[in-house]
Amino acid sequence: MQNWYPGDENGVGGIYNFVTKRGACRGARSKISWTQVETGSAITWKYPSCVLRGDDSVGEFYSVALTNHRQQADTGTKMIHLGARTKSKIISKGISAGRGQNSYRGLVKVEKNADGARNFTQCDSLLIGDRCGVHTFPYIEVKHPGAIVEHEATTSKISDDQLFYCLSRGISAEDAVSMIVNGFCKQVFKELPMEFAVEAKKLLEVSLEGAVG
Amino acid sequence: MLEITNLHARVAGKAILKGLNLSVKAGEVHAIMGPNGAGKSTLGNVLAGREGYEVTDGTVTYMGEDLLALPAEERAAKGVFLAFQYPVEIPGVNNTYFLKAALNAQRKYRGEPELDSMQFLKLTREKLKVLSISDELMHRAVNEGFSGGEKKRNEIFQMAMLEPRLGILDETDSGLDIDALKTVAEGVNRLRSPERGFIVITHYQRLLDYIVPDFVHVLADGRIVESGDQSLALELEEHGYSWIKERKLGAAA
Ligand SMILES: Nc1ncnc2c1ncn2[C@@H]1O[C@H](COP(=O)(O)OP(=O)(O)OP(=O)(O)O)[C@@H](O)[C@H]1O
Ligand SMILES: [Mg+2]
Repeated sequence: MQNWYPGDENGVGGIYNFVTKRGACRGARSKISWTQVETGSAITWKYPSCVLRGDDSVGEFYSVALTNHRQQADTGTKMIHLGARTKSKIISKGISAGRGQNSYRGLVKVEKNADGARNFTQCDSLLIGDRCGVHTFPYIEVKHPGAIVEHEATTSKISDDQLFYCLSRGISAEDAVSMIVNGFCKQVFKELPMEFAVEAKKLLEVSLEGAVG
Repeated sequence: MLEITNLHARVAGKAILKGLNLSVKAGEVHAIMGPNGAGKSTLGNVLAGREGYEVTDGTVTYMGEDLLALPAEERAAKGVFLAFQYPVEIPGVNNTYFLKAALNAQRKYRGEPELDSMQFLKLTREKLKVLSISDELMHRAVNEGFSGGEKKRNEIFQMAMLEPRLGILDETDSGLDIDALKTVAEGVNRLRSPERGFIVITHYQRLLDYIVPDFVHVLADGRIVESGDQSLALELEEHGYSWIKERKLGAAA
């Protein structure tokens, strides 16, 4: 979970957070699972990756990245399949509000000896307001004819209808947005230990302040 | 409890309500019928406080207060409830969670203690049972993947839970099978009391066999053009809306 200072509303004074994290699954049936919640920094570039060398090893990447005001996040993962029957799963949720920009950038690479390698990627983006942007850059390099690589992507927007529906039931606009955003992130939050999930939810609420109205 | 006087409203720059008058007293049920595009849903949206519906003239007094001055969520807390013609889906947000948040937000606003999970669950069970709604819907995301009828039932269930002062039902009976129709009617009839008022927008006299209204109005071209009792609904069913126009012309001649 990273919540570096994002700067003021114009991003002035904010931290730049450029990170590379790599993990190697060397042994057979080993597993690495990355879970990240990115809400801070003026600019974030972050790509926690897995090198799946051991046969039957597993890599996972669960990500929530939220940008508000002038924040920019460019984040994703690399899954490098070397061993046989290696599996990887990528779930990425990008949320943009204000003038935020959010990119998913990921590489799924299957080398020629990785018999029976599999990847599943799901990349969902949520827009709040009409001045922000979301982008996805999935890179896929497959050198094994038997590899199965799946990529699903969706982009949606919190609609006026959804907001009004909440308001008309007595829920404030701010609570409505955080409720909808949390719903959107559920798949990732359920991977977090209970205490972290509670923190993550609060962090999103704080980061979304001023995103509507 | 609700006094609408000379209401004019525009949507997207187009005048839709053009001098609408309606008075609802506590304890009364008013049915509103009228041709497609007449402004029925617009009326519901204006009363519930939807942004983009611009009131250009007229007043709405609710429980002695200027309703139009209140933001939507405060209207809800003060007891205004709109059952939507097309309830929206909110993916990932659990139906029970949503409803609990709504109920507690309203209670908090009114200075009442919030319900804890046990109390809420108990209330949910009671209401589900009364309305014979399956609790399976409670475990799903708000309206997500609900059939048309399930969405309408869910609206009624929300109304039962929130116990509004003024219930506005926008075609809640459209597209329902006979059992669901009875659920909707039951939802209204259970809440009916001397303190509550209802505005029931419908195209079908059939609903009014189950929810017997005190008044029936015809809304056409942004105004209430005819008011009467239940017999008006029967006549409309028989003759259609053109009958009203012809009668008016006849009277004018
Ligand atoms: N957001 C909008 N933008 C443009 N026009 C709108 C909008 N909302 C409503 N209208 C128009 O206002 C008029 C009244 O619509 P409204 O939904 O109130 O009708 P209604 O009486 O509820 O009809 P129905 O019986 O079909 O539900 C219609 O001509 C409709 O096209
Ligand atoms: Mg309508």
